[in-house]
Amino acid sequence: MNTKNQALAQLMSAESVNELEQIRIDYFGRSGKFTNLIKDIKKAPPEERKHIGQTLNEAKKSIETLLEGQKNSFKEVAREWFDPTIPGEKPDVGHIHLITLTIEKISEIFTRIGFERARYPEVESDYFAFEALNMPKNHPARDEWETFFVDVPENPKSGKTVLTPHTSSGQVREMLRVGKPPVRMINIAKCYRRQSDISHVPMFHQFEGLVIDKGISIVNLKGTLDYFAKAFFGKDRVTRLRPYHFQFTEPSFEIDISCGVCGGKGCKVCKAGWLELGGAGMVHPNVLKAGRVDPKIYSGFAFGWGVERVLMMREGLGIPDVRMIYSTDLRYLSQF
Amino acid sequence: MDSWLRDYLETPANPREIAKYLSLCGPSIEKVEKVGNNHVYHIEITTNRIDCASVYGIAREASAILPRFGIKAKLKEFRLDSKSFTFAKKVSYLEANVDTNLCPRFTAVLIRNVVIDKSPKDVVDKLEMSGVRSINNVVDISNFVALAVGQPVHTFDYDKIKDQKMILRESKKGEKIRTLDGKDFVLPGGDIVIEDGEGRLIDLAGIMGGKESAIDENTKNVLLFVQHYNPSNIRRTSMALAQRTAAATIFEKGTDAELVGPATLLAVKLFETLTKGRADQNILNIYPQPYKVFSVKISEKFINERLGIEIQKKEITAYLSSLDFECKWEGDILDVKVPSFRAKDIRAPEDILEEIARIYGYHNLPSRIMDGDIPDRPTEVKFAFENNLRNIISGFGGTEIYTLSLVPESFVDEKHLKLKNPLGPDTLCLRTSLMPSVIGAAKENIGLKERFHLFEIANVYIPRSNDLPDEKMILGGVLSGYSYRRAKGVVEALLERLNIDVIFKSEEEKGFGASRCAFIYYADVLVGKIGIAENTELVYYEFYLEKLMKSAKYSINTPSFIKIPKYPAQIEDVNFNLPQKTKIGEVIEQLKNTKFVVKAELVDIYKDSYTFRVWYQDQTKTLTDKEVHGIRNEIISSLKSKFGGNLKE
Repeated sequence: MNTKNQALAQLMSAESVNELEQIRIDYFGRSGKFTNLIKDIKKAPPEERKHIGQTLNEAKKSIETLLEGQKNSFKEVAREWFDPTIPGEKPDVGHIHLITLTIEKISEIFTRIGFERARYPEVESDYFAFEALNMPKNHPARDEWETFFVDVPENPKSGKTVLTPHTSSGQVREMLRVGKPPVRMINIAKCYRRQSDISHVPMFHQFEGLVIDKGISIVNLKGTLDYFAKAFFGKDRVTRLRPYHFQFTEPSFEIDISCGVCGGKGCKVCKAGWLELGGAGMVHPNVLKAGRVDPKIYSGFAFGWGVERVLMMREGLGIPDVRMIYSTDLRYLSQF
Repeated sequence: MDSWLRDYLETPANPREIAKYLSLCGPSIEKVEKVGNNHVYHIEITTNRIDCASVYGIAREASAILPRFGIKAKLKEFRLDSKSFTFAKKVSYLEANVDTNLCPRFTAVLIRNVVIDKSPKDVVDKLEMSGVRSINNVVDISNFVALAVGQPVHTFDYDKIKDQKMILRESKKGEKIRTLDGKDFVLPGGDIVIEDGEGRLIDLAGIMGGKESAIDENTKNVLLFVQHYNPSNIRRTSMALAQRTAAATIFEKGTDAELVGPATLLAVKLFETLTKGRADQNILNIYPQPYKVFSVKISEKFINERLGIEIQKKEITAYLSSLDFECKWEGDILDVKVPSFRAKDIRAPEDILEEIARIYGYHNLPSRIMDGDIPDRPTEVKFAFENNLRNIISGFGGTEIYTLSLVPESFVDEKHLKLKNPLGPDTLCLRTSLMPSVIGAAKENIGLKERFHLFEIANVYIPRSNDLPDEKMILGGVLSGYSYRRAKGVVEALLERLNIDVIFKSEEEKGFGASRCAFIYYADVLVGKIGIAENTELVYYEFYLEKLMKSAKYSINTPSFIKIPKYPAQIEDVNFNLPQKTKIGEVIEQLKNTKFVVKAELVDIYKDSYTFRVWYQDQTKTLTDKEVHGIRNEIISSLKSKFGGNLKE
């Protein structure tokens, strides 16, 4: 301690760089006072060595810091004015769109558990968009999709041409492409519906998961969706399944996630502590058959959710209107 | 409405509990609204569960679900004793000729001496809390029965039916009817209609009654009419005429033929108490093919495998019985008899599985990600490539945008696809180019920022005959406030990052200013375009991703290592005076094509004088000054002969 205080006092009163250098040698030179102290550690009883070592190290650090500071104060340049806080000259800064960032995050989460990303046509035949999904022509379930039709002659085999209203049209395409399960697909693509209001845009994105293998169960569907919800929204969030109905899954569910604002107690944002995430279900045997997969051997689950929806449900984002997401105003774009 | 529900359900559960537990295992109760001392439930009924679209239907679900949460619940039957009535194929008061393909069960009964009056308060409250306006006792009875048990009911003024005769048949195209709301319709054909003895259409069956036979304040005798229709006819008519009445939305989903009888008796009882009318003892009932109970077989193994857990046989039986399914185990196979009200919905083992799973409770199932093989799908490089582009461009100052694929006709090429049902003319066509959308976005931002760069990666849609269109992924970008050289530099930097050697060739192109466009080639492949957009100062560029990806060394091919030269290059700046309208890109190509010139760049322009930096290098030795001199002379003579350029000393 004494040695340290002595050294600090000498440093403070030094008047030139040479003097400082002499002090350094006196203390830290080959046989300097401090160097000798360090050598003496060996002589101390083993149980005290650690403590002594630490004390010496701290002392050494404070001497060195002061030495460096004093040295700089003698330099010529220190007197020249320099402002290290002056604003920099930036290169042009670009931004990646929120939707892309969200798609990347979703696909990254699913690829971690063995899913492969896919993308299927936006302009699709009636066959893959509806019929292969257990929705024959004139089926009332088709009303739920506000479908855009393309003005082309009807194909005798695949029917009318539509803008795909959901990524589910990729389900049977993927089965046919793969030929033989296992299937673990995450299909992310643009979809279109004839609607535009505060929570709907005519063009939007969905992500569709499809898993087919031997012995796939509801427990696996729950596990996968829980994994996604925790990875995407945070580990404190939980999901629940409610019975629902879709033509292309049986059983079908609606998935809710606990509200991040109130923590599940119930608030203005949610319904009694829950927010609706989207639909899911066990792939209907007729859909498996359309994909030439034998429902006696294989089973599977599927879900198709809105990218915009999960994005807007992220805590703290605060975009009030889904149409805002597609604004091309740089004042919005450059926020992300 | 809570008190109405409790007419059919005996339970200590409070409305909040009912809403919560039903949502978890059955129909979703979106909201419970307190109205006075009562509660109103807002319930979402899915299309397959039309049996739940009534107070009784919900009570039946609740009686199966609530006990799973430890709350007692007992269903109270609404079915009445039918002993004082006879269901007969023929009756004296009505001659009916029915096409039973259209109407598999036709039921009607005459109620005489009805007194039209207001309904009692209890009935009015129940209707109005359910969002139905009370009209008079006769009309209210129809609505009451429909809401209570889910069977739509219609009433005719019996004395307006000419000759007491009805023919239920398919309509012919062009036939006309006036419905009781006063609207006139010309029928598309194939609709279910009823004609009376004078050949007048008096009912657009299952959708709305005819004006000709409607109840009015002078009605004395009522024909009560309860039917089971073919759902697809009802749906087709209702959609074609845009008449989405409450009755139609129920009938089109397929009602329960077995419900017709009990609903008729309930309505008769209401008529006798509320209107003082007396029903004829013979109820006309044309029902040639009564419901036959069928069964679905399901194995214990299937149930456990799909659920992902094992549940006891007797538990399975208990859940299904609580929903009125009759169950019998034959070894490990369960034979499940389907009640008539679920006949449309339950067909396959998967449907039975759903019933077991939801009553067991999805919330009681564990969560576990599947094990098993991961598919050996060949990795799709395109996603990584697109993201790489986004990262590079945003690193060079580009901001990504998403614009709508649907554009006005003025934005597309001659060959394009159009929508049949667009939202408006601005979104009529599928775009064939990103250029108009991306330029449009830039124009919106001019004035906001001095210099900016927007880009988008999206499909364009090129029609193909007898096939879906070719969806081509395009990168399109626009730079505002950039000089052409600076903008082109960004594009060149992008290409350098992708490790693609390209050539720019001047071309005239639609959408660009006259001689303001260059095509970008990799070998002989056109990979993109760049230029100044017509009538603007904006620089637009685009790339065809599939072509670009094939050219890019980092995406598919691994680039080969090039040995670092052992001998240093000699670098010098040379000045040339070049005639006006010389294409500097071609000059640089010429320089690079000279032997021992490994690199050439433009470093400065002053009037007609251009400074090029030239790297001379030989892999095998250091070039001498004399050798460099020789190469320089070669350059001078080639620039002179090709471009008329002169070395400036």
